[in-house]
Amino acid sequence: MNLFLQLLLNGFINGCVYALVALGFALICNTTRIFHFAHAGVYTFSAYVFYTFYTQQNLPLAIAIPLTLGIAAVLGIAIDCVLYKPLEKKNASTLLAMLSSLGLYIIIVNIICMFYGNNSKILVAGLLSTVKFGGLMLNVVQIAIFATFIIVFAVFSLTLYYTGLGIKLRAMRDNPTLLALNGVNANLLRLFVFGIGSSLCALAAILTGLDVGIDPNIGMSVTITAAVAMIAGGMGVFEGAALGALMIGVLQSLAVWQLSVRWQDMVTFIVLILFLLLRPQGLLGRKGRLEERGNV
Amino acid sequence: MNYFFHIIIMINIYIILSLSLNLIVGMGGMLSICHAAFYGIGAYIGTLLMVNLGWTFLPALLVAIIGTAILSLIISIPSLRLKGDYFILGSMGFQSIVFILLYNWTDLTRGPYGISGIPSPSFLDLKISGLPLWFVFSTTVMFICSMFIIFLMKSPFGRTLKSIREDELAAAALGKNIPLFKIKTFALAAGFAAVAGMLFAGYMRYIDPTSFTMMESVFILSMIIIGGAGNIRGPVIGAIVLVVLPELLRFLGMPDAIAANMRQIIYGLAMIILIRCRPQGLLGDYKFT
Repeated sequence: MNLFLQLLLNGFINGCVYALVALGFALICNTTRIFHFAHAGVYTFSAYVFYTFYTQQNLPLAIAIPLTLGIAAVLGIAIDCVLYKPLEKKNASTLLAMLSSLGLYIIIVNIICMFYGNNSKILVAGLLSTVKFGGLMLNVVQIAIFATFIIVFAVFSLTLYYTGLGIKLRAMRDNPTLLALNGVNANLLRLFVFGIGSSLCALAAILTGLDVGIDPNIGMSVTITAAVAMIAGGMGVFEGAALGALMIGVLQSLAVWQLSVRWQDMVTFIVLILFLLLRPQGLLGRKGRLEERGNV
Repeated sequence: MNYFFHIIIMINIYIILSLSLNLIVGMGGMLSICHAAFYGIGAYIGTLLMVNLGWTFLPALLVAIIGTAILSLIISIPSLRLKGDYFILGSMGFQSIVFILLYNWTDLTRGPYGISGIPSPSFLDLKISGLPLWFVFSTTVMFICSMFIIFLMKSPFGRTLKSIREDELAAAALGKNIPLFKIKTFALAAGFAAVAGMLFAGYMRYIDPTSFTMMESVFILSMIIIGGAGNIRGPVIGAIVLVVLPELLRFLGMPDAIAANMRQIIYGLAMIILIRCRPQGLLGDYKFT
């Protein structure tokens, strides 16, 4: 029983990491309609940037973290400017954006491999100190992950529903052209979306890096999980992604409990296939009319 | 000379893969990232039959083709309901599930250890071993497969597929059974991918799941994007370019450790540039939109 609760808790913490990435992914995908797989590249890149600053250069956390978040934001914005914007100007479909996104992911990961090698790296030497709650154990980083998620989620939801920026973001989700026609600088908002989305992703990368270490291939599975979480939570509902992510995290821990750790990735894809087939609008999404629904 | 043979054999395998994926992507207009899954399923079915049950190459090949075609229904039937980005995600899901199964179902596939000691195919008294014989054999198989695919593309089946790609509604209005056509396309393409998988398994005499990852699927898809879709010459050129290009790096004196990464960087870059500047690829007919 204790093992079950411990695994459930670990699953929930994993879910929090997925949720951070998924919120960024959903922010970008809901407003620009692009399945931004280069997000995985941003994730890996920021993990290595943090590794360079924190472990190699011995900068304190208070400097290394903001620096990494800033660099990730710049990378995200650069990806939009160099990759997606020109495609959009040519009226190319989001499919092409998605494919070039995959191409960019391959490039980023291999550049990292060339400089840092293929092997995994540990950011913090030695064991992390742990805290006990009843019979359950959590390490410091896991507690930080939980706290970060709560703060980010609260700020995210409050911004989305109680500020002018949130109204603009929701308007951009519904109709970017109309938003621009109403005198809002949609291009600037788009850059902002990419910057914030990438920073959230970097935050998750830093926290997992501190917890379990990094290797060049960490990005893709997290990002695919985030994409699945977004679909499971509901396209068009920004916070739905976080719900979907927590759900996948917990389901994965159940798979670990019942089967073995080898099958935990399988859960993600089974969730994806089931949702695509049975409930394409996701947990929180509304079933729109056929012509509004886009591709599903 | 052996090096040259090896390159040609790999090109042959990849031409079969890219031509068969072209049936789905270029003719059917469905961008799918799961071809390496079919390639892997074919290789594993055939290999397991040969290694565990002692079958010879030809019957194993036949069962691999049929088995892979049947398993393709798992992805093709659900995917009928998905379009665009969601279809890609669905196919990625299928690809990943297949990889995880190959990797973790250790009782059947030996997981990460892979299967070694795959017997060379033999016909009557002729045992296909050694590079020159493999060169002849793989080229023959490649030609037979290409002939089949060319025939398919020029047949009414291919024309219907093209019409579905251009305008699904119009094709349906002409009385074409669109779901059936899509399912058939997937089954055919999966069957050809199984042939490529068997060639690969027989040639390498060792397979493990890492040859059939999602990145391999992206690699095969990028052959079509780079070479061009919707006709024969596009995918063929794509396969040749992507297999030969990294070998050229070797002649530039690049160390092997960097060359592997450099090869991936080059094809990622080529994909981005071609999508931007020439969406129909080098020699393609069909423009991805």
